[in-house]
Amino acid sequence: MTFLKTVLILVMYGMCISCATPGGEPGALGDIKPGERPELHTDEAGLWMAFDNMEEKLKTSGRRITDPQVNHYIRNIVCKLAGPQCSDIRIYIMQIPDFNANMASNGMMQVWTGLILRAQNEAQLAYILGHEIGHYLRRHSIQAWRDTRMKSNVSVLFQIATAAAGVGYVGQLGHIALIGSIQAFSRDNEREADDVGFDLIAQAGYDPREASRIWESLMKEHAASEKEAPSIFFATHPPTEERIETLTAKAQAVTAQGGRFFVGKKELEAVVLPLRASLLRDELRRGEFKETQILLNNLMKNEVGLGQIHFFQGELHRLRAEPDDQEKAVVAYQKALEFPNAPPEAHRALGLFYFKAGEKPKAREALERYLDLKPDGDDHEMIREYLRQLN
Amino acid sequence: MLKNVNYFLLFFVFLTATGCAQTSVLTRDGEIIEKAADDRILLMPPDIELYEMTMGGMLEPKADWTASALKNVAEALKQELKANNDTMISYKEPADGSNEFKVHQQLIKLHEVVGASIMKHQYPTVWQLPTKEDNFEWTLGQRTTRLKEKYGAQYGLFVYMRDSYASAGRVSLMIGMAVLGVGIPLGQQVGFASLVDLKTGDIVWFNRMFSESGDLRELNLARDSVQNLLDDFPL
Repeated sequence: MTFLKTVLILVMYGMCISCATPGGEPGALGDIKPGERPELHTDEAGLWMAFDNMEEKLKTSGRRITDPQVNHYIRNIVCKLAGPQCSDIRIYIMQIPDFNANMASNGMMQVWTGLILRAQNEAQLAYILGHEIGHYLRRHSIQAWRDTRMKSNVSVLFQIATAAAGVGYVGQLGHIALIGSIQAFSRDNEREADDVGFDLIAQAGYDPREASRIWESLMKEHAASEKEAPSIFFATHPPTEERIETLTAKAQAVTAQGGRFFVGKKELEAVVLPLRASLLRDELRRGEFKETQILLNNLMKNEVGLGQIHFFQGELHRLRAEPDDQEKAVVAYQKALEFPNAPPEAHRALGLFYFKAGEKPKAREALERYLDLKPDGDDHEMIREYLRQLN
Repeated sequence: MLKNVNYFLLFFVFLTATGCAQTSVLTRDGEIIEKAADDRILLMPPDIELYEMTMGGMLEPKADWTASALKNVAEALKQELKANNDTMISYKEPADGSNEFKVHQQLIKLHEVVGASIMKHQYPTVWQLPTKEDNFEWTLGQRTTRLKEKYGAQYGLFVYMRDSYASAGRVSLMIGMAVLGVGIPLGQQVGFASLVDLKTGDIVWFNRMFSESGDLRELNLARDSVQNLLDDFPL
């Protein structure tokens, strides 16, 4: 009995210590102010330090897109939204094909190209950026950190209390309950970031109806996916019917008052088009063909650069290589070539298909056409060798 | 076979030993390091982070502790090298985004990866690569000459350290669990250092260190850790 008492006294002592640690109460933090830096002795400064070190490495990452046009464009959107806080935010555009944007408490914002490729207009992109700025302004990183720390402390205490009582397996249940409450907590943060993001784009004059639309298309893509684990953004920002409904209702309230709302379809396209071929190549490398198909369907509806989109449709079939895909690929490449801006690679893809199929005249014609259009391509020696074999 | 058993024993001893620092020095084969009276050693920005281990076992980064550790380790390294008649040159970060900044940053990142690979694949554990059994040959490549030219130093010293300390709650948990017969880790010091010949980029000397005691927040104790880290330092 004294043994159990000793343990319990120690446990109580530990609980008091955990109560004394600062900031156990989530949601009690004020917004971050322009130019603010946490004091060095705080837990928030610790997180900033870890993010600062991460950022130092990110600066020279090989995946970083340094193209001034797209950097300038995204910075402008962020400044329109964040106003006085704009100079506290540093943007890193990363060539990673997944839909993702995130923001650390020190002001480091990452925008992945999978998001840029999927946003259908500037208002949608602005909404996601506004949502991330919402996490930053409301200091969600440190809130989540403190909350997790508090819960892991409680969890470990629960485990020893139950171990001392001789029912170790109950400790496991405590741990499961803990994981559930951490997720619930971050869902609250998501709602809050939704609100802030929505208000920021509405104030900046963007069409507020686009906010729920990008979540909807993300959900649609996710539903088509066969992956058990959702994409990183989907896992950390689970869109729910409830959130979409809230955003739709808020948008109705704003648009009911009338006025002009900026969508910015052409503006986003002008920035994305020069990068699009390279981004679509990355996209196909993910091997998530069902998700990519939904993306291609959306891009086809836009009717911009259709030659390129049909070419990548052909590439999707070629790489997937399921029954009938070869025929579908040929149809898609041929379709691509009906448009004036078709990539020369569509001729090469067709030529190589005919080459394998033994259709020599067709193969020769397509490969010669490719060489005419791209005489200095990396592969011109190889294509010439194929042509020699065809003669 | 006997060799393997010995390694296993060594590893086992290393795993179970606590309380004092464990170091293990490696030097490049066939490399003769000639000590000169005025060796100039460029200290690359030490990569140091200090954490507090919370009661629940999370590692919480501590900015103020890290700031004092960085200062103490730099000072301790300076004193240690001075005692060896070497001159330490401090690295100054070039302008953000400049070409020089990019080259230096890539070298710093490369060293982190190479250092971690040495830690994992060079030492006699189950992860040791068969090609690394009897030799020690690692390099950062000849781009290090860019550092040599800029600082006029023959060698570069790269230091990596992570240190964690138990919170009061964690300590009480440890005592509570010890009563129940369960061991709970309370934090530890881990580090490695490489001496790089800036002419060739080769790592000519490498040491790793583990310790369950020590405190980089105090200059005197940081000096002990640095002495352990520079065990058998060739210069």
